[in-house]
Amino acid sequence: MVTAAGFVGFEITSRHDVFSGAARASDAAEFGTLGINFRARRYASEAEWAAELAALNCEIPPR
Amino acid sequence: MTTVQNAIPNAEAGSRGLDSAALRAAIQAEYELVAREPQRGFHFITGRPLAALLGYQEAWLAGIPEANLASFAGTGNPFTLGTIQPGERVVDVGSGAGLDSLIAARMTGPTGQVIGVDMTPAMLEKATEGAAQARVNNVTFRAGYAEALPVETGWADVIISNGVLNLMPDKSAALREMARVLRPGGRLQIGDILVQKPVPEDARADISLWTG
Repeated sequence: MVTAAGFVGFEITSRHDVFSGAARASDAAEFGTLGINFRARRYASEAEWAAELAALNCEIPPR
Repeated sequence: MTTVQNAIPNAEAGSRGLDSAALRAAIQAEYELVAREPQRGFHFITGRPLAALLGYQEAWLAGIPEANLASFAGTGNPFTLGTIQPGERVVDVGSGAGLDSLIAARMTGPTGQVIGVDMTPAMLEKATEGAAQARVNNVTFRAGYAEALPVETGWADVIISNGVLNLMPDKSAALREMARVLRPGGRLQIGDILVQKPVPEDARADISLWTG
């Protein structure tokens, strides 16, 4: 989804539990929900983006 | 706000059966409480304890008004993903009470600019007041939606966002809008959530699960 939107170099850099210990009960644990940090770059050229899309081994939703 | 809402492309393109307008209203109501009554206690951790959990450095928090810090409700730390350089233009999507915008404004300094965008009036009011109290002059806060950012095409060097994308019914539209606002080669630095187990379609349409 991130790459399809116009980005390259998508990377999740960390995962962490941000729901345990909250004041109110959450449904987050039921779905294994974690906080994450992720980054990517806006493609610098159409060619760079096309190469990134081609490298994905999955179906891309239409823009 | 109504005009902007009507202009959102593909606003109804989220999960089947999901009432996007009702979802947006529920999220606004929840975050108005976070702005006005942060001590109330929510299903997510807030405030200084959350900032510590996520690795926010004390030096970043120094001088931030306590009221703005108390209403911090992110799920990650965009500043661990890359340093904001002096002079850079930053957009904070879903800026909330303004903590990340204020930190970014200090990092980019007087030659840079930060635009915070949020859909909740109480958050915009609180963030604007916090910037004035902290005497941070290179940040402005604008009303708007992630799917229709009120920012010029190609304006930003960096987009940050924290705990917001997961609340978007049409995440693809929000990401495309972020790509529009970034200059070529610009950086996306996001804190959000990851769901490790499949969420059934009926659960996706349950607004109480989106907000709690």
